[in-house]
Amino acid sequence: MSIEIQHLNKTFNQFAVLKDINLQVPKGELVALLGPSGCGKTTLLRIIAGLEVPDSGLILFHGEDTTSRHVRDRQVGFVFQHYALFRHLTVFENVAFGLRVRPRKLRPSNAEIRAKVHDLLYLVQMRELAERYPNQLSGGQRQRVALIRALAVEPKVLLLDEPFGALDTNVRKELRRWLRHLHDTMHVTSVFVTHDQEEAMEVADRVVVMNEGHIEQIGTPEELYENAANPFVYRFLGSVNLFHGRVQTGHIRLGDLDVKFHEHAEVHQAPIVAYVRPHELEISREADQNTMAATVSNIYMLGSTVRLELVQVSNSEIIEVELTKEQYRLLKLHKGEQVFVKPRKMRLFMENNRAN
Amino acid sequence: MVTLTKRYSVLPGFSLALGLTLLYLSLIVLIPLSTVFLKTATMSWGDFWSTISNARVVASYRLTFGASLLAAIINLVFGLLVAWVLVRYSFWGKRILDALVDLPFALPTAVAGIALTAIYSSHGWVGRYLEPLGFKVAFTPWGIVVALTFIGLPFVVRTVQPILQEAEIEVEEAAVSLGANRWQTFTLVILPNLWPALLTGFALAFARGLGEYGSVVFIAGNMPMVSEITPLLIITKLEQYDYQGATAIAVVMLVVSFTLLFLINSLQWWSSRRHH
Ligand SMILES: Nc1ncnc2c1ncn2[C@@H]1O[C@H](COP(=O)(O)OP(=O)(O)OP(=O)(O)O)[C@@H](O)[C@H]1O
Ligand SMILES: [Mg+2]
Repeated sequence: MSIEIQHLNKTFNQFAVLKDINLQVPKGELVALLGPSGCGKTTLLRIIAGLEVPDSGLILFHGEDTTSRHVRDRQVGFVFQHYALFRHLTVFENVAFGLRVRPRKLRPSNAEIRAKVHDLLYLVQMRELAERYPNQLSGGQRQRVALIRALAVEPKVLLLDEPFGALDTNVRKELRRWLRHLHDTMHVTSVFVTHDQEEAMEVADRVVVMNEGHIEQIGTPEELYENAANPFVYRFLGSVNLFHGRVQTGHIRLGDLDVKFHEHAEVHQAPIVAYVRPHELEISREADQNTMAATVSNIYMLGSTVRLELVQVSNSEIIEVELTKEQYRLLKLHKGEQVFVKPRKMRLFMENNRAN
Repeated sequence: MVTLTKRYSVLPGFSLALGLTLLYLSLIVLIPLSTVFLKTATMSWGDFWSTISNARVVASYRLTFGASLLAAIINLVFGLLVAWVLVRYSFWGKRILDALVDLPFALPTAVAGIALTAIYSSHGWVGRYLEPLGFKVAFTPWGIVVALTFIGLPFVVRTVQPILQEAEIEVEEAAVSLGANRWQTFTLVILPNLWPALLTGFALAFARGLGEYGSVVFIAGNMPMVSEITPLLIITKLEQYDYQGATAIAVVMLVVSFTLLFLINSLQWWSSRRHH
């Protein structure tokens, strides 16, 4: 079932939490809501579920206005950030809950319920744990129970609020992949909230970047990474170096660097910020007019990559550079050495202007 | 084979803590109560039996236990309601209402008895309207139920309140999103987590009702066989210097109360242990 949100607004005590949200989630897609803490992700998800009422705006499921429909009748599966399992019920009964509370006419027989729950438990490799109580499970196991509990009622839409937020990195990565796999087999339209950009990029078909109650950009992970619409998105999707400078009729001047640049060629004279990702910087030992001088201040070996911290000679600002092990070995760098840095690629945004 | 697993404990020395507990309970509870048994033991078996099985005394047991039970059940239902309203809703005057709940604790019970009698007597604010309907409260067993309900109100409210406060709303939302209606959410999700606390509150209110004297004597009318509670009989015997008779009845009260409370506590312990 597709989800469409039109001109949605929500305030809490006169504080606007969501401002004119417009969003479409096509049927069967897995979409991530990504944004910093407090930007309104949970609120948006709860409104989609019907757990919260918007001040204005529409929510359409499959083209049908659902805004005033009760949670119970929306056929959404909601996975809560803190699992919200029923403590007094076993894993089995937790998963069976949604089937057991159905009106008598629609309720499956006990045997059918048992079969269904066992299938789901099998899916998450938790068959042996069926009789345990939630407090006898690990965080990852609880999360999986919460997931299949929501799936048991065959929701038309699956909503997940930071499903892996409270777990350690390894479990998280595993569950992430598992969620993607699950989605590929079940094709249920899903929206999941996260504040971890890596998670969003890895799992989602499309990512919705939110900030302070509005949507900054919507796109596939690649589109967002390669083509961030504004500085916020650029910064949010990974570490980045900022260089302040000026644009002057076809030239960019950043410190001692001067490059021809066709973008913004019409601008005569304006302050500008260049955004360069750490892996988009090159290091060489010779200077030319496209480089800036910097001193190596720190070297961090991070498994497959090497991160360098450099200090710009002209203004003492710190530059972060990421090299492959190979490049690093060829350069034979050491601390305190002076080198020349050259951006292979950069994104320019006018200063004090969100969009370029 | 029994294996003892050593667990980390905040308080040092299990044996020390247990020893102190036993000593404390002995001094405060067991030793005073044992004198009741000792005094009774000076009676002959026949005297004992005729005292405790006297028709008037038996009627008082029935009344005391019945009225206490009924009052505790009323408090179970309405205490839960009050706790629910105090935790889940915010409204003007909530603080005042919250403080009001403890008032039955603070008030001298005699004052409560006199006030209730005044209200429920045939000319009182409430009694005035109940009487024409054929419902007499003051000076009947119903008056006792009213007094015991008043006295026992705080127990259920105060035991359930913190549990409700801690309960995650999300669990209820999860139930609703899975398709549960209000009644199912209440009975299948909310209530099971409240049972232990409800039972504790119920047991406390019940126990309080059994021992209550001050407020009841004013409103009960104290008619033998009809509205005479056991504590009153004990006092009457004491006033007649019949110490043995008084303690004999007290022994019955004690044994029955202890058995009932023990059962309720076991139930509470069992239901809270099952899942936590
Ligand atoms: N019930 C509420 N009453 C008042 N304010 C609320 C309520 N729920 C959320 N807010 C406010 O709305 C804003 C958005 O909250 P929301 O929970 O949607 O953020 P979030 O993006 O999910 O953040 P996080 O990543 O920390 O979970 C916050 O400023 C929060 O304080
Ligand atoms: Mg949140």
